[in-house]
Parts: sequence; structure tokens; C-alpha cells
Amino acid sequence: MYVATRGGEEAIQHAEQLYKAMIGKLTRENIQVIQQQLPYLLDKVMGEGSLYAPELAALALAQTGGDVYEAVLLLRAYRSTQPRIAYAAPISPDNVLTVRRISASFKDIPGGQILGPTLDYSHRLLRLDVLDGLSEDDTAAVEADTPASPTYPAVADWLRSQNLLSPVEMQQIDPVAIPDVTTDAVLFPAPRAHRLQALARADTGGVLALGYASMRGYGLIHPTVNELRLGHAEVEMTHPLTGVPFSAGRVRVSQGEVITSGEKNGYQLGFAATLGWNEIKLIAASTLDLEMNNREPHPAHSEEFVMYHTESVEASGFCIHFKLPHYVTFASSMDSVRKVISTFYSSEAPATPSSDLETIRQVQP
Amino acid sequence: MTLQELAQPRQDYSYAFMDAYAKRELRRRILKAIAIPGYQVPYASRELPIARGWGTGGLQVSLSLVGPESVVKVIDQGADDSVNAANLRRFIVRMSGAQTTTDTTKATILQSRHRIPEEIMGEGQALVLQVPDPEPLRGVTADMSKAAQLHADMDYGQMWLLLYEQLVRYRQYIQGASYPSLVNRRYVISPSPIPRWDTPKLHQAAHLTLLSAGREKRLYAVPPYTDVQPLEFSDVPFQIENQQGWVCQTTGIENKFMNELPQADGTSQYELSDSGYAEKLASTGTTDATYYDDQGHFYHAGYLKPPVLPTL
Repeated sequence: MYVATRGGEEAIQHAEQLYKAMIGKLTRENIQVIQQQLPYLLDKVMGEGSLYAPELAALALAQTGGDVYEAVLLLRAYRSTQPRIAYAAPISPDNVLTVRRISASFKDIPGGQILGPTLDYSHRLLRLDVLDGLSEDDTAAVEADTPASPTYPAVADWLRSQNLLSPVEMQQIDPVAIPDVTTDAVLFPAPRAHRLQALARADTGGVLALGYASMRGYGLIHPTVNELRLGHAEVEMTHPLTGVPFSAGRVRVSQGEVITSGEKNGYQLGFAATLGWNEIKLIAASTLDLEMNNREPHPAHSEEFVMYHTESVEASGFCIHFKLPHYVTFASSMDSVRKVISTFYSSEAPATPSSDLETIRQVQP
Repeated sequence: MTLQELAQPRQDYSYAFMDAYAKRELRRRILKAIAIPGYQVPYASRELPIARGWGTGGLQVSLSLVGPESVVKVIDQGADDSVNAANLRRFIVRMSGAQTTTDTTKATILQSRHRIPEEIMGEGQALVLQVPDPEPLRGVTADMSKAAQLHADMDYGQMWLLLYEQLVRYRQYIQGASYPSLVNRRYVISPSPIPRWDTPKLHQAAHLTLLSAGREKRLYAVPPYTDVQPLEFSDVPFQIENQQGWVCQTTGIENKFMNELPQADGTSQYELSDSGYAEKLASTGTTDATYYDDQGHFYHAGYLKPPVLPTL
């Protein structure tokens, strides 16, 4: 087989080899350490990669030396080839094994405020003593006298019972019929399924930037965190032959809800959920869910703007594509610029006398 | 007989990487794009193992067309040996077992970023152009939904206004690459971004051109023998880049698209942008017919007109 091999091909192989040499050897042990020690990083990568696979996420992080955008791309590129073999049953807040669940709307809520594992109220002090080997980190958790309930009712349900939120009806939908942002051509206005899926896999930083802009003053609403919930959900499948439901495993999931007033029929609810635990993303995303219909006063609140610009793989890919050579398009634009210059200044001396050239050389390394 | 013998050999990925559903979708969208020349067909656009914005749109089209019998040429800025072209070619070959070539006339699939080669492509060849921004109206409206409505209404008034403003300010069109062009007298497209030098090559071309933007999830086509007309007022004709007098430093050739190479003394040297053409010329001393002949005449006589400087 004839393959056109060129200098460029050799160069890229060496460049990749150099990168690998720099980040060190990829071993099963390293990957396991990443998987055990960096669960929140894994969650972020799995959420944005929209593939729940802690082992693969750890592998992706190890393979890229911790470059999150690259790791997300690895997972996405892997998942894009995987067939859909089945659909899990929908997850309801009532049956998520909840480890943390808070509401800012009320002092206390049915089931109670469950702080769970969080750094929210920690002093952000670097543990220099551990670094210096002066003390060991104590990781033992105190066991409660009475175990907390594994499941909790939804705060929004209480609001609905008070007629403060419009009621929702559980719809029976064939999972195959649910619009899928990964396999559909996305058009606007997008179905709500596309919107929630896009937010679920959106870039955390991108969602934060737009969400923050909205919260800070470019938006119309003041979000109140009605409920923020971290937990484990059963992936409930139905056996293809016996029809018996069974759990294929548990995934870390999180969901966020913000509410805002301003409607005649009570409050409006913004919602976001994602694979993995990612509280910042959920608060920002659920705020955007509310704002995305309000193009005014700021374009960042249109659905199209939010969905296009928080797509981590697309945004990061396009940004780094500017590293590629663009000398043909540049030559084309230079041709136009030269023609304009010669049209208007043709009687004058050439544009770059040698003294100017020296200045340019000094400025540009 | 053992189970091992009965089982399919282990494959980590599907043939040509994309699964059958993704390929089916792509092929259907391609057919639709061919059926409606210049219309931007939305598609799902799968993630591929190269970064978005690095040719994933073109690559998805190439991967949905490629077979073991295909002969693939990949260029970036006209060059076969550019690192990104090399990477894409390596991926297509790794996933499909297709043959590769640097000879434009031998390729069945020619994937390119920013250029159409110098030698005239023929029937049966597919030119796959990578597209960063499929929307020619992006400059007048950033909103895809609004732009789609303007296309549906064939409302290109703002584009004409843009060109008119250029004439008023600069006495000429100042668009660089990706010059907006009307396909089949119906849809305005953003041609890849290829230089204006290459835009006329799309007009009544014998080959099929598929333009695909992976990140923006749109693909469109210029079918063989279709009219492609750069937007121009009837009294101020469209102009290609003026490279008169630019001589390739290695081959001595003129009237082909050149890379300008800045020299330390403030002057410029020039070299052929089309590396496959340069290579063929160097090794055999001859090439197939080119879109622009050695005197710089375009092969569709009368299509390009001399410049007019409007007095306003």
C-alpha cells in the first residue's frame, strides 16, 4: 500500500512522543490513583464528556496529563462510536440515594437540610504541615448515631402543593422518542430535552461565566437555590428476556433547582442535572435554564447563544484551531489590503521604508 | 472448530471509525445537500478523535464516503505535508485502509482546508472542503436562526449592502477568502474559506464539492456542473488575488496560487501553494490541465473580468 509520508507526518509523531515522555509512563496503578483520589475532577470530566465511566475518565486524564479539555474530548470521541443498547428507567429525586441536599429557600425542609460531604464551610488553608511531613491527614469520618434517610422528597413538591409552582405531570415517553442532542441535528428553538442535555454536558467554566454574568446584573432574575442535591442513582434496566427490572450499577448524579418570582402563576423553576457531582455548574446552569428565553437585555440569554457557547469540545477546539496555519486566507486578505492601499496612496512611497522595518522587527520576536 | 475461529476478529472501532448509524445519517444529509445545491443541511455531527475545528466536518464526510478502494489526498493550505493534513490522512488510512496520493488527478476523495488544487478535477472525484463557519450571513447576523430565515426568503439584501458599502469606502470589494457566492442561482454560500483565486473553480465544475462544518453541524454541496457566481454588481466585477509577476522560486512557474515568503531584506520570495502540483512538475516536468493556464487565463473563458474602479 502506498502511503504518502512526509516530513509533517514524522514531526507530529515526534511531537506526540515528546509529550508522552514529559508526562511520564501510563500505568494501571497511576490510573487507579487518579480514579481514587480525584473524584470531583473525574465527575467534571464525565459530566462534560457525557459518559459515566470513572475508569475511562481516569485513563483520559492520565493520557492527557490532566488537560481537562483534552480528556473530555477523549471521552466524547469514544462515546460517539458506542451503540445504544438499552435505555435506563428515568431517575426521580425520590429514589436518588441522597448524600447531600440543601435548600436556601427555607430554614428547614421536609426531611431536613443534609449538609453531607462538602468543603463549603472549611477554611481554605493549605495543609503545609502535611506537605512537610509533620502530620498525617485525618480522614476518619464520625458516624452518626442514627443513620440519615437514604431518600428525600423534592422541595419543589411542597411549593407545588402550596400552588406556588405550576404542577407537573409525569409523562410516559418512549425513551427512543426523547430528542437526543448527541444524535440529532440541533435547531432552534430547541426542544427542552436538548436544552437540558446541552446544559448537562456543558463546559463548567462556560456555564459559570454566562450564569455569573446573568446573576451579577445582565439577567432578569435573582436565583434562589430551591434545592441542590448530590446522590447516587441506580441505573435501572429491564432484562431483555425476563422483563425483570434490575440495577446495572450506581452513578453519581447531581441536580440543582433555582426559583424566581415574577409570574402571575407563582414561581418559575430553573432546572439542571448532570452526571457526577458538580454544584457550581448546576446553580449556574439552572439559572441559565430560566434565563435562556430572555434574549433581552443581553444576548447571552438566548438559547442559541448559551447552547453554542458553553459546548466545551466545540469551544475549546475552535479556540485552539487558530494555532493551525492560516497563511492562505491571510494572503487573500493581504491582497485586498494592498489593493486598497495602492488605490488610495499609489502616488506615495512604498509602505515600509527600512527604518519602519527595524521597528517591526524589534516589536515582533 | 473453535469459538475463536467463529468469532469476528476483535475491533476496537468500526470501519472508518464512525458507527453505521452515524454514517447513514451523514450519507442521507449529503444526498440532501446535493439535491438542494448550496443549502446548509443541519446534521448531528459526531465527535471524532481529533479536535473540533480541526477538520472534523470534512473528516466525517470523508469517513462516510471512504472505502478500501478509495484513493485519498489530504491538503492543508495546499500542502500535503502540512502537519494537520498529515494527521488527518494518517487517521483516514488507519481507520479505512484506503490508499493515499499527493496527485490531485488520482484522488477519489480529496479533503482540503483552504484550497482547491491547481489541476482540474474531473467527474467521479469528490472534493471535501473543511469549513469553520458555514454561514455567509454571519457578518450581518450572528444568529443562526435568523440567518436560516434570510436564506429561506432568499433575502440577501444585507449582503449586497455590505458589498456596496465596501465600494463606497474602498472603491473595491475587500472580502479576502471565503467570498460569498450564489449557488445554482438560489443559495448564497460561504466557500470554505478558499481564496478568491479558487472560488471560480467551483463554477460548472466536473467534480462534486462537499463542504462540511463539524463544529457548526452544517454541510452543503456544490454538485457537478452547477453555477457558482461570486456576488458582484454587474458594473464592478469580482476580482481574484492579484499575483501577477509572482514566480515560484523553485519551479520558475507563474500564474498559479503562490505562498508569499517574507525575506529578511524586506522583499518577498514566492513558492507554489499546491505542493502536489509542484512535486508532480518537479518529478515529471509536466502536469494535467490546470484551472488557470500558464498565461493566467481561467479555463471558463469570460467568467473572470478585468477590474473596474468605480468612481463614486
